[in-house]
Amino acid sequence: MTSEVEKAIAEIRHAFAGRMVEAEDEPQGGAYVIVDGVSIGAAYAPSVTWFGFLISFQYPHADVYPHFIDPQVKRVDGGSLASGFSGPTDWRGRPVIQVSRRSNRWDPTVDTAVAKLLKVIEWVKEQ
Amino acid sequence: MSRPFRLTIDQVLFEKLYRHLFPGDRDEHGAVIAAGIGETDRGPRLLAREVFLARDGIDYVPGKLGYRALSAEFVAHVASYCAEQNLSYLAVHCHGGTDSVEFSDVDFQSHERGYPALVDITKGGPVGALVFAERAVAGDIWTMRGRHAFERLTVVGPSVQTLFPSPPLEPQFSNSIYDRQARLFGDVGQHILSRLKVGIIGLGGGGSLLSEWLSRLGIGHIVAVDFDQVDVTNLSRVIDASRWDAKAWLAQRRNPWLQKIGRRFARLKVDVARRVAKRANPRIQYDAIDGDVLEESTARLLTDVDFLFLASDSIQSRLVFNSIVHQYLIPGAQIGAKVSVGENGRIEQVSVATRPVLPFPGGGCLQCHELIPAARLQMESLSDSERRAQRYVDDEEIVDPSVITLNVLSAGQAANDLMMMFTGLYQPMVQLSHQIGFVRERTRSDVESRSREVCLDCGNGPSSRRARGDRVRLPCRMPS
Repeated sequence: MTSEVEKAIAEIRHAFAGRMVEAEDEPQGGAYVIVDGVSIGAAYAPSVTWFGFLISFQYPHADVYPHFIDPQVKRVDGGSLASGFSGPTDWRGRPVIQVSRRSNRWDPTVDTAVAKLLKVIEWVKEQ
Repeated sequence: MSRPFRLTIDQVLFEKLYRHLFPGDRDEHGAVIAAGIGETDRGPRLLAREVFLARDGIDYVPGKLGYRALSAEFVAHVASYCAEQNLSYLAVHCHGGTDSVEFSDVDFQSHERGYPALVDITKGGPVGALVFAERAVAGDIWTMRGRHAFERLTVVGPSVQTLFPSPPLEPQFSNSIYDRQARLFGDVGQHILSRLKVGIIGLGGGGSLLSEWLSRLGIGHIVAVDFDQVDVTNLSRVIDASRWDAKAWLAQRRNPWLQKIGRRFARLKVDVARRVAKRANPRIQYDAIDGDVLEESTARLLTDVDFLFLASDSIQSRLVFNSIVHQYLIPGAQIGAKVSVGENGRIEQVSVATRPVLPFPGGGCLQCHELIPAARLQMESLSDSERRAQRYVDDEEIVDPSVITLNVLSAGQAANDLMMMFTGLYQPMVQLSHQIGFVRERTRSDVESRSREVCLDCGNGPSSRRARGDRVRLPCRMPS
């Protein structure tokens, strides 16, 4: 993987210290990343899930999206998931719920994969 | 014998340096250029990234042996900066004279005393010196392997100028094929075009036009990159592409197996473009590269061109193009046509774009103009099946409109820009701004220049790739 992607993964591991962070090479130089044990709040069951995503080989120029979570995640109140969620669909051979939060103002000098993940987690919690 | 070094500098930095060296007092002044480097088949290219002006009497002081010299403190400060930034150190001063210049014996002795140590300090250099006259420059370059010759300085701006140690011999170049156009820019202009190496990314509707026109113009060397083959739907706009090239009698059969054979044996677009170019100019050197500019080995073939065209729709290619332009100080232009189709298939806007990109802040950087959307880069990095799963593809049968007469509008301006820049025919006040033509309204407008100091491509910040050459990676796929 590229040095920029390696750096992004190191930042994710640092921010999620104590939780399992798996990173697998993507053939072009990017990485498939899964961060496990992320709390998404009491509005969901299960309230803890994993987040998966691709960091492209053209990161940091490329946005990091969409993110994927456990397909079992449902709202506790029985309501449907918000409009940014879709699925279940397939990601790397496993069923997932897709969380689409595109950054239209992504700035490669400021935005990072870890900051994007934290924003997406926060967005999920707020729904 | 190693190939002589060349130096490329953008016009903004050159003007800053030139004003300092020649303020009108006819005295000697000094500076240092910090430069990246690109190794190429045509020899090493030094790429000016920063200029440090030596203040008279403080940084540029009376010398012990010569008239003046850079102070030890100034040299130490800039040399350590170059070592830290992995840049080459080039000391600069000026002499009197106009069209030719050379170092004095005292200059050479000073290089021999100082540069072997400076090569070590800057982690192998190169290091060296340049001496300027008003319209000439000579150089003395040092590496771990010793001393190297210096050939020329190229200044990249709306006019591309070249300075040599002394005036090159007037070319004995006269060819009746070019008689009419040489009446515009002279035999010297024709000679300049014949020495140019031009890259084209994408040999489809726009790129094939450029390729033919440049060949007829007398460009000496074209590097054309495309991995695509001719398809029957290309015949309306890829120059000289025929049904035979597209293997139409197979590709249009109902039998999918025959269609597949037809697609497999269809001619590459770069091969069609080479055929056209060779017919126009049998002496042209034409590198028809069956490759993808996202592969680093292919992208590197374009790091030594004198001008680079981007005529591909892919945003990933746009990122690589913008990186090559800034990292290797190569002027370029992106061309394209866009047809916006609204609901119910109604045509909304028809626009054509010609976007010159010069390698300095405000030079038309595609990043600064927000023309490299981060989301599109991410989407294009996915496989077809991933794109389908993530629902980025609604209907594979929907293909964007593309029309040869629209391509002509954007490609024509870009080809003309190249010709005018290298033959020095643009008026001094010309700004090479992006131009957008609105075809339905029959209007054309210039886009105001934008730049961001922190831009990773054109900016001056420590993370920017501008003028770093081989010392940073291009945003290509990692070699497997």
